[in-house]
Amino acid sequence: MSQATAIVTASALPEAGAAPARAIAGSVQDFEASHTRDRKRRNLMENLTSVRFLLPLLAVYIIIVLIPFLQSIVFSLTDYDGYDFANAKFVGIANYQAIFQDQTLLAGLGFTLLYTVATTVLITAIALPLAVTLNRKFFGRNFARSLFFFFSVPSMAVLGLVWQYIFSPLGTGAVNTFLGKFGVSPVPWLSNPALAKFCVIFIAVWAQVGWHATLYLAYLQAIPADLYEQASVDGASRGQQFVHITLPQMVPAMGVSIFMLLTGGLKVYDLPFTLTTGGPGNATYTVTQSIIVTGIGSGRYGVGSALGVMFFLCCVILVALQQIVTSLIEKRLS
Amino acid sequence: MTTQHIPAAPADAAPAARGLSLSQRERIRSAVRSVVVIAIALICAVPLYVVVINTFKNSGDMAADPFGLPTHFTLENYTYALENLPVVQATINTLIVTVVGVFFMVIIGALAAYGMVQKRSKLTAGIGAFLMLSFVIPGQTLLIPQYKMEAQFGLVDSLLGLIVLYLGGATFCYFLIVQYMRGLPGELFEAARLDGAGPFRIFWQIVLPLIRPILITVVVFETMWTWNDFMTPNIYISSTEKQTLVLQVFNAMGQFSTNWPLFMTITTIALIPVFLFFIFCQKWIVAGLVAGSVKG
Repeated sequence: MSQATAIVTASALPEAGAAPARAIAGSVQDFEASHTRDRKRRNLMENLTSVRFLLPLLAVYIIIVLIPFLQSIVFSLTDYDGYDFANAKFVGIANYQAIFQDQTLLAGLGFTLLYTVATTVLITAIALPLAVTLNRKFFGRNFARSLFFFFSVPSMAVLGLVWQYIFSPLGTGAVNTFLGKFGVSPVPWLSNPALAKFCVIFIAVWAQVGWHATLYLAYLQAIPADLYEQASVDGASRGQQFVHITLPQMVPAMGVSIFMLLTGGLKVYDLPFTLTTGGPGNATYTVTQSIIVTGIGSGRYGVGSALGVMFFLCCVILVALQQIVTSLIEKRLS
Repeated sequence: MTTQHIPAAPADAAPAARGLSLSQRERIRSAVRSVVVIAIALICAVPLYVVVINTFKNSGDMAADPFGLPTHFTLENYTYALENLPVVQATINTLIVTVVGVFFMVIIGALAAYGMVQKRSKLTAGIGAFLMLSFVIPGQTLLIPQYKMEAQFGLVDSLLGLIVLYLGGATFCYFLIVQYMRGLPGELFEAARLDGAGPFRIFWQIVLPLIRPILITVVVFETMWTWNDFMTPNIYISSTEKQTLVLQVFNAMGQFSTNWPLFMTITTIALIPVFLFFIFCQKWIVAGLVAGSVKG
């Protein structure tokens, strides 16, 4: 018997009539003593139907996320090389120790953290005022909004490749050609470790500022206009209005934006890889790149998985910290 | 009433006189804002301008002046790229992966969301919490076991293999859709049930049309994400005839790094669909961005 017929039977009850199902649930309760078995059965049926709809997602989730996640933890404790798991030995935390002795992996971790912090700070510092400006009236506003937003739409990988020409350390690179007109000799943009780091962060900010400004803009537009009207009647200046109205109202948006920047930053791969392939040396090497190179590239599944698990732990800590900080700020403001 | 207005009029007139200069000042401010913001936006767009303008030049022309308009306008780069590179094949591959992948992830997500709002019980609540786990598990942690799994089933270097991995995005779709459904009045779904229609018929004929706005948002958002993905094809796809557009641009870079105009042309060709998509779907991309952000 399907769930639908179960309901039809229920709706045949005298008081139920054509009333919505919630009323039926109530009337069924009146008959509780005699209909307990019916109700239980109907509940079970409804549960089963619900679960039937959930099954495809559960299957996908278990196969693509959960099992690989558990495998990652198991692999990380063995010397598995990808060929024969039966012969893999349990090595405890040796793989984790290996991470901290490998200069390349540490370099990847270092740059990933630098990238995450730098892009989060810079993008927030630029996107917020940009959004406030784009929220004011001026000629060409929609054009400016769309243009800033557009930079975030193409694949970061493609943008990285494009910027490879712009920031080419050769005299023929776009920036160097431009500087050359003023007699500046070619700057080794992508071939100098510090400059390469700068370039990656610069491009990431360029590409993502519009995205986050759009997010802020959506929240800005939700601030009731009378808050500002009230404030200007009270004689508050633009600056005061920004500090006392806009900023507090933007805390939830900032929480969301910063959360996305932090998690996105830790996962960074496309841009540094396409721009510099992690170089020069290991200057722009990332955690994701090292997981791919170590795990899939050279078959060191154990160490690669240990990196993955460490990465997971970092994300958990970061998410927890961020939630705590945001709720603290929100409490202080309210 | 009138007596109240009479004193009010001169009081209003004074700020109004100053208001004129205020509105003038506001007009000047707005003009300055226009100039400054649009100038900054255009400067930011220079890299994209450089890419497009140089597709109409030859190497020598480009080296002489990468910023200027072409002295000898040429479409040679485009004809060469279209004739000698599997651009069309790559576009078809990307289309297949995106359309099939997004279709299934959205349907799976919508089905689960409907199952979730249909009946609240300890079981569904438990499953909901279980799915929440996916927010703290980064894809990077899953890379190695997923690769091993795909290798086991012979899915490495196949479009099907990419699609299977993209299905993981169904969880994200589910969260956006379930959130939207919870905002709808529950009677909408319950009324449908009373008509005696089977649950799957209800899903197709009533639920899906009801949640159309969020479906469009999710489809647009996931399409953008899938189309742009570089990491997965870069790890899994090695045959030229199976590469996606983004991967092709990447490979072209290795192949033509000495011929910048040709590389720029391939990039431009790859960016055209993205640009069109942006023009037509900007509204929904923004909607998805905001909806996705509410979830955190």
